[in-house]
Amino acid sequence: MNEQKSAEERMQARAPEMELIREAQAGSRAAFDTLVRQYEQQVLRLALHLTGSEHDAEDIYQEAFLKAFRHLGNFRFECSFYTWIYRIVTNLCLDQMRRRKTRREDRSVLVDYFGGEIDLLASVSDDRSFSNPAKELDRKLLGERIHAALEKLTPRERMVFELKHYQGLRLRVIGEMLNTTEETAKNTLFRATKKLRTQLAGLRS
Amino acid sequence: MRCKIAQERIVTAAYGELADEQARELDQHLAGCPECGKEREQVLALKALAGAYPVAEPEANLAARARMRLGEALDALPSRRWYERLGQQIRNNFASLMATPVTACLLLLLGAGAGLVGGNEMAMNRARQAAMAQAARAQAQPQPATESGATVEIANISSIVREPDSHRVEVRYNQLVPQRLEGSLDDPAIRQLLMLASENADSTGVRGDSVGLMAAECKAGHGCQKAAGIRDALMVALRYDKNESVREKALEGLEPYVSEDVRVRDAVLEALMNDGDPRIRTAAINILTPVEADTSVRQVLYSVSNTDSNPHIRNVSRQVLNSVPEIQ
Repeated sequence: MNEQKSAEERMQARAPEMELIREAQAGSRAAFDTLVRQYEQQVLRLALHLTGSEHDAEDIYQEAFLKAFRHLGNFRFECSFYTWIYRIVTNLCLDQMRRRKTRREDRSVLVDYFGGEIDLLASVSDDRSFSNPAKELDRKLLGERIHAALEKLTPRERMVFELKHYQGLRLRVIGEMLNTTEETAKNTLFRATKKLRTQLAGLRS
Repeated sequence: MRCKIAQERIVTAAYGELADEQARELDQHLAGCPECGKEREQVLALKALAGAYPVAEPEANLAARARMRLGEALDALPSRRWYERLGQQIRNNFASLMATPVTACLLLLLGAGAGLVGGNEMAMNRARQAAMAQAARAQAQPQPATESGATVEIANISSIVREPDSHRVEVRYNQLVPQRLEGSLDDPAIRQLLMLASENADSTGVRGDSVGLMAAECKAGHGCQKAAGIRDALMVALRYDKNESVREKALEGLEPYVSEDVRVRDAVLEALMNDGDPRIRTAAINILTPVEADTSVRQVLYSVSNTDSNPHIRNVSRQVLNSVPEIQ
C-alpha cells in the first residue's frame, strides 16, 4: 500500500515534467530547451569529473542532448527523464573512456577548455585570509593520486564507482542506467573498491 | 556468515545499501572477526580518501558555451515534415491510451491506421509536388539575404550525393545566421554574450571590448558577485588571452576583489609570476598592495624579487617586501 502510494506521489511530482516532455516530443523547441536547462549542470558535472577535460565534457554534453533531441520520440515514460538522459550520458562517457584506454592516454590532471591545468582543489576554497601552501600541495598531490587510481579501473568499474560514490545514486538506478541488474552493479562496485584500495595502499586521508 | 560474503556486504553497507536484516548479520560477524573489522576500516578510509578528488561544479562559462553550441547545432537540424510530426503525435496518444479500455484502443488504432495509410499517400504526393515546385522557384531566385542585405554565410558542407545515372547532385549544407541583440549591461543575456566574446571572439578588438565592459562593471561594483561568472571570465582572460591589452583590462577589473576573493588573488599572483608582459607584472604588484602581508603573496614576491628577468620588477618586489613586517 505504502509502495503504491509513493509510486503515485512520484508520478504526481513528475507530472509537470511529463507535460514538458510531451510538448518537446510534439516539436516544441522551447520545451526541449527548458529540459536542457534542467539537466545540463548534472550532465556537465558528471562528464567533467569522468573525463577530466572541459573540452571532452562539452563534447559529451553536445552529443548527449543532440541524441536526446533526435530520439525523444522513443521515450515512453517507463523511467524518469533523469534516468533516460543519464543513460545516454553514461554510455557516451563509457565509449570515451574505452577509446582513451585503447589510445593509452594517461591524464592525471584535469585540463580546461584551452588545455591549461585545472586545480580542482582551488575550488575547495580555504576562506582564511592566508593559505598554507604546503598543505595545499599535499591535497593537490593526493587528489592527483586518487584521479590516477580511478583511471586504472575498467571503464565500467569507474562508471559504477563514479555514479555510486560521487553522484550518490542507488545501485538499482545505476543498474538501470547501465542496462544491467542491481546485483551486477553491486559486484562491480565491490571490484572497484578492492582495486582502488590496492592502488592507494599506504595513503592516509 | 563467511568472510567473503561479509567483505562484499561491508562495501554495500558503507554506501547505505544493505538491508536491515543483512546489516544485523554483518554486525554480528564483525563483532567476532578482527580481519573483517580491519576490512571495514579500510573501506571507510577509502571513502574518505576518495573525497580528495572532489566533484567540481562546472563553471558558468562552460555551461553557457555548451548551451550556445547546442543551440547552433539544433538550429542546423532540418525540421521534421508534417506527417512525421503527426506520426509522433499518434504514437504519443497511443502510449497514453494504454490505460484506457481495450475497445477504445482498438477503435483508435483502426481509425488512425486507415487515416494514416490513406492520408499519408496523398500527403506524400502533394509534398513531392510542392518540393519540385519550390526547387524550380529557388533556381530563379537570388540567395536569401539577412536584414542588412548581405547573403547568408555557409558554415560547412555536410554531404554531397550524386543521383545514380544522372547529372543531379544533392548538397547538404549548414548556414550561419548572423543575429543581433541589444540590451542594457544588466541584462543576463547581454552579460552571457560578453563572457562568451571574451573567450571565443576571433578579433582582439571584440575580446578587448567585452573584457573592457565587464571590467568597468566590476570596478563599479555592478553584478560582479562570485556566482555571476564575470569574475571567472576576467580571470580566464587574464590567464589565457594572447593580447596584452586585453589581459591588462582584465587585471584592472579584478582589482576590487583581490582582498576578498582568494581565487582572484591566486590569479593575480600567477600573472605576476608568469605573464610575459612586464607592464602587467608591474600592475599585478600594485594591485596586490592591500594584501602584501599575505603569506602566499610574500612567497611569490620573494621569488619574483630574485628571479624576474626585469630589474625594475625585482626592485619593486623587494621594496614591497621590505615595507611590511615579516610576521602577521
